[in-house]
Amino acid sequence: MFVIDGVRRSALAVVAAVSVMVVISAPAFAQEAAKDPNPGAMTVTGSLDFLNQYMFRGIRQNSSGIAVWPAIDLGLAAFSGEGGLKSVGINFGTWNSLHTGDTGQDGPSGKLWYESDFYAALGFGFGGGTSFTTTYTAYTSPNNGFTTVKEIMFKLAVDDSSKLGKGAVKPYIAIAQEFDTDVARGQADGGENAGTYLELGIAPGYAAPKAGIAFPIKVGMSLSNYYELAGEDNKFGFFSIAGIATIPLGGTTNFGSWNIHGGVEYQRLGDTTAAFNLDDDGLPKKNQVIGSIGFGFSY
Amino acid sequence: MLLTGRKLAHGTRVIVVAVVMVWAGRTPAWAQAASDPNPGNLTITGGVDFLNAYLFRGIPQDDTGVITWPYGDLGIALHSGDGIVKSVGVNVGLWNSLHTGAAGSDGPSRKLWYESDFYSTFGLGFGKGASLGVTYTAYTSPNGSFNTVRELSFKFAFDDTRSLGRMASKPYVIVARELDGQADGGAEEGTYLEIGAAPGFPVAGLAVNVPLRAGFSLGDYYEGVSGDERFGFFSVAGIVTVPLSSMPTRVGSWNIHGGVEYVYLGDRNAEILGDTSKVIGSIGIGLSY
Repeated sequence: MFVIDGVRRSALAVVAAVSVMVVISAPAFAQEAAKDPNPGAMTVTGSLDFLNQYMFRGIRQNSSGIAVWPAIDLGLAAFSGEGGLKSVGINFGTWNSLHTGDTGQDGPSGKLWYESDFYAALGFGFGGGTSFTTTYTAYTSPNNGFTTVKEIMFKLAVDDSSKLGKGAVKPYIAIAQEFDTDVARGQADGGENAGTYLELGIAPGYAAPKAGIAFPIKVGMSLSNYYELAGEDNKFGFFSIAGIATIPLGGTTNFGSWNIHGGVEYQRLGDTTAAFNLDDDGLPKKNQVIGSIGFGFSY
Repeated sequence: MLLTGRKLAHGTRVIVVAVVMVWAGRTPAWAQAASDPNPGNLTITGGVDFLNAYLFRGIPQDDTGVITWPYGDLGIALHSGDGIVKSVGVNVGLWNSLHTGAAGSDGPSRKLWYESDFYSTFGLGFGKGASLGVTYTAYTSPNGSFNTVRELSFKFAFDDTRSLGRMASKPYVIVARELDGQADGGAEEGTYLEIGAAPGFPVAGLAVNVPLRAGFSLGDYYEGVSGDERFGFFSVAGIVTVPLSSMPTRVGSWNIHGGVEYVYLGDRNAEILGDTSKVIGSIGIGLSY
């Protein structure tokens, strides 16, 4: 079928944030590094996750086997200050999806590597926990499971932790525009026209000394031609709620901070996304449950 | 022009990174980190290079348009000690080749991304500068120009800088075995041998390296119409590296580098190229953190 981004990256961001909070209170025996192993301006984060199902913004990407997601990101803190603009950051990364099932190794191509995304992001941090990030993403399919999708996304987020403490909900809004498209090419929905996507979400979470948990909630909608089906653009794409637990593997060591994490996500699909999510009888399935487990690191 | 294999590059890139790490020497104070920005066990290296041609171990890939090589590597130092094994490390990385010419956006696929390689290396360091690295590489082509090649390679290297100083030649031997898929597009998976050296010296305040390499088939690596040819290529290059700071900064050590490589080809590869030799020019930017 087709393509990816917001679902997973949001979830991973939540995992990373929770693990950082949890690591702060790790037991002393685990804290090998007496000081920060990486006080410079570059940060590496990575993860490897295993899932029973891969849904990209509600659009099903596999119907059998498992999906494995290796990802790595390099962050560069280009600026930090005390004025209206608090920080400027640049991120590059690659995100991949390997499938053992029908869209991978067991599919027509016989190849595991279903998806490889490259992205570059420029982010600005302002006062009050507000941030604005612009991301360019090229979604490619090494096994030709779909045609390359190019997208630019704008995300406005507020980290309200300093005001609300444990009651923080961390709301965000993201708008993504596909470009360089043609009919059935370069589009997540495989439709006729380039789509514009809207996502609204929150990511409340709680970090205890030995574990953290987060409950990301989000809604994906089409602002224009993002969820096309038989010539009709259905506005509602999906609603998602998840529970993700993160357990740090010790504290901050010379290898950074590592964690294992896992969770369950429930998605309620719209008409277009349900049409891509057929059951064994070939009927649209509006509900989807996704389980995941993996490990991650931040350095 | 094209294609049946992939890059000649890994050796060259490693040399550039090594030169930069040795070369940190002088820089304006504003750019200097107060202390080592990354004293931990993870190391990042990366860069972007631009070339006029791409030959993989002498096998022509493309000499039209501009070829761009973005790459990144994450190194993990697992162990260091004073025993027989001085160090243990793991590296994982991605190497890519983007083509504007016949193998890329101007070719049948119309897609720029000709090659994407994933590799993972397990390395052991011994006394007197000796090291052994075992690398698994998956060479893939996102624009479908070639079938995926999976390879296991063994590299034995010797850094003789400590004993020979500026006269050090840093010799190495690589033996690579194709597990699945073939660089030459032939009938059988091949076994490759590379013998090389990477001497370097300062010239007028710049770091200059002169890597020498020769590639051979130990079995079915350079298959052609007249069977498997033993000699694949010989290469000599001159690479100049200019650090952009003399001390590591908070964003690591950056450099610009460029060079010229002369490649003399065996008959099989020369037939594909349409010439017995090729001169490759390159320029790029690199990072070590």
